[in-house]
Amino acid sequence: MSDRSEADRLTQESTLMRLVRRPEAGAFIVMLVVVTAITFASDFKAFNALGLKNNIAIISQFGIIATGAAMLMIAGEFDLSIGSMIGFAGMSMAMMLKWGLPFGMGEATPLTAFILTMCMTLFIGWMIGTIVVRSGLSSFIVTLAFLFFLRGLTEVCFRLINQSTQISGLPDFKEESWVAWILGGEVFGWFYDLWFQLGGNINRRGEQWVDGFDARFLWWIVIAFCAWFVLSRTQMGNWIYATGDNKDSARANGVPVNKVKISLFMFTAFCATMFAACQVYDTNTADAAKGNLMELNAIAIAVVGGTLMTGGFGSVIGVAFGAVTFGLVANAVFYIPWLDGSFYRVFVGLVLLAAVFANERIRKRITGGI
Amino acid sequence: MTEPYLRVENVVKKFGPFMALNGVNLEVYPGEVHALLGDNGAGKSTLIKTLAGVHQPTSGQLYIEGKPVNFRSPRDASDAGIGTVYQDLAVNQLMSVTRNFFMGRELKGPLGTLRMAEMDKIAHDEMLKIGIDFSDPTQAVGTMSGGQRQTLAIARAIYFGAKVLILDEPTSALGQKQQMEVLKTIKRVRKRGDIAIIFITHNEIHSQLVADRYTFLALGQVIGAGKAGELSHDEIRRLMAGGAEMKDLEGELAAI
Repeated sequence: MSDRSEADRLTQESTLMRLVRRPEAGAFIVMLVVVTAITFASDFKAFNALGLKNNIAIISQFGIIATGAAMLMIAGEFDLSIGSMIGFAGMSMAMMLKWGLPFGMGEATPLTAFILTMCMTLFIGWMIGTIVVRSGLSSFIVTLAFLFFLRGLTEVCFRLINQSTQISGLPDFKEESWVAWILGGEVFGWFYDLWFQLGGNINRRGEQWVDGFDARFLWWIVIAFCAWFVLSRTQMGNWIYATGDNKDSARANGVPVNKVKISLFMFTAFCATMFAACQVYDTNTADAAKGNLMELNAIAIAVVGGTLMTGGFGSVIGVAFGAVTFGLVANAVFYIPWLDGSFYRVFVGLVLLAAVFANERIRKRITGGI
Repeated sequence: MTEPYLRVENVVKKFGPFMALNGVNLEVYPGEVHALLGDNGAGKSTLIKTLAGVHQPTSGQLYIEGKPVNFRSPRDASDAGIGTVYQDLAVNQLMSVTRNFFMGRELKGPLGTLRMAEMDKIAHDEMLKIGIDFSDPTQAVGTMSGGQRQTLAIARAIYFGAKVLILDEPTSALGQKQQMEVLKTIKRVRKRGDIAIIFITHNEIHSQLVADRYTFLALGQVIGAGKAGELSHDEIRRLMAGGAEMKDLEGELAAI
C-alpha cells in the first residue's frame, strides 16, 4: 500500500482560482464589461449625478425581486407570480389610500395601507407555497396560475371600485408620513452633498442638482444583506441549500422541507410588495399593468447571477451583480441616443443563454459530470 | 453474551393483502456485525424500514435494551439510537462535507447562525476516527468517491448517537478497492464495541469478511440464522439463494 489516500487527489487551489470558480465570477465579469461599455458609449452621462440616481433606482428594483426569486430557486422552486404580485400590491395600497380601508375601517394612512397589503400578499405567498408542497405539483404551473389570477383580480378590483385601471394624483404622503418617506423618499443624501461640495453635482443654474438616491436603494441593500447572511451563515441557509439540492435526503435528515419552501414563497411575495410600496410612495400613482414580466426578469437575473435552475446552488452576491448588469442595460437607451430600446431584450436573451451554459458547467464539475 | 441492544419479536408487516414480513425475529448485540442476507424481494428493505420507523409493524414488537418501543416516525427511531444509512446515503452533492454532516442538526449560535469553524473541526475529526483524513471540509460531496460518501454517512450517524447502525447494501455500486474501504470502516466501528451494526448485502464474501452473526430472509420469513463459526460456507450460499440447493440451480442452468 502506498501512503497516497483518496483525499490526496483533491488539489489545493490558490485563492485566485477559488475566486474564479465561485458562482459569482461570471456575473462579475459581465458586469464589469457592461459598466465599461455603457460608461464610454454614453459619454459618461450614465454616471453623472442624475444618471447614477436613475440607474440605481432600476437596479434596486431588479435587485429586490431577483433576491427573492434566487432564494426560492436555490430551494428548488420557481415563482412566476412575482410580477402580478407587484401589480396587486400596488393596486391594493393605492386604492386604500384613495378610497379608504376595506370593510369601512375608515381612512387609510400610508402605514395601515402598507401593513394590510403586506398581510394579504404574505398570505397569498403562504397559500401558493402550501398548494405547491401539499399537492406536489410543479411550482411552475401553480405560480403560472397565480400570474393570471392575480393580474386579473387586480384589473377587476380597479374597474369595480375605481372605474379605471390607473390611479394618479394621490397626495404626496412623504411630507407628513415617515412610512411613506422611508419607502418612497430619498436616502444617502450625504453622498450627493459631498459630491456637490467637491464641485460636482451642479445643475444649469449652478445649484445642487440631485439630493439623494431613491429609498429603494437602501431596501435593496437591506434585503440583499439579510438574504446573503441567512443563506451563507445560518441554519436556515443550510436548510435552503439542502431542500433545493435533494429534498428527500434533506427530509431524511430532519430538515423541515415544506416549511422552508412555504417561507420562501412568502419571501418572494414580501419582495414583490416592497417593490410595489417603493413605487407607490415614490410616484403616488398605481397602474394595473405595473410589474408586468418582472417575474421573468427576476428569474433571468437570478440565473445570470449563478443560481442553478435545478436548485441547491447560488449566490446572493452574484444576483446583485446580475441586477447591476440588467439595470444598466435596461436604462442604457436613455443615455445612448442611437440605441434602440429593444436591444435590452436581445441582450437579456444572449446573456441568459450564456449564463445557463456556464452554470451547467459549474454543476457538472461539482457533481462529477452527471 | 450480554443482552441484545435491539430485539425484533415476531414482526409481521402487511401491505394490504401482501405479506411483506411474516413473523421475523432478530437480535442485535453491541460490538457485533449482524449480516442480514436474502434475495431481492425477501423483505430486507421492509424490515430495515420498520426498524428505522418508516413503516409501523402490523403486529409484533421491537425492544430496545429489553424495553418495548414503538416508532411512529424516523425521528423516533433515530432518537432511540437507530441510525440508518440508506443506499442513496441521503447526502447532498452540491453541499460541502460539513454542511452535509450537520444537515438538519446544525450547531447554532445566536440568531440561528452556524458555528462553522466548530462544525468543520467536528466533521473532520469524526471522519478521521473511522479512517478518512479530510484535508478540506468545505469540499463539495459531489467531488468525493463513493466510499468516502459512505464513510461520511456512517460517521454522521455515529456522531448523532446511533447505537444500532443499519447499513443498506453499503458495498454495492462501489469499485473493488472502495468496497474494501467500506469493510474496513465497518470493522473500525465494530472495534469501538458499543455499536451494533446491521449489514445488509447481496455479497456473501463481504458478509463473511466482517459478520459475527447471520440472519437469512426469504419470502418474508427467516429461513436460517446463526453465528459466524456455526455456519459453513456452503450453508451460507444455500441460504442466500433462498434455501435452494446450489447443486440444483447449477443443474438447472446446465440443462438449458
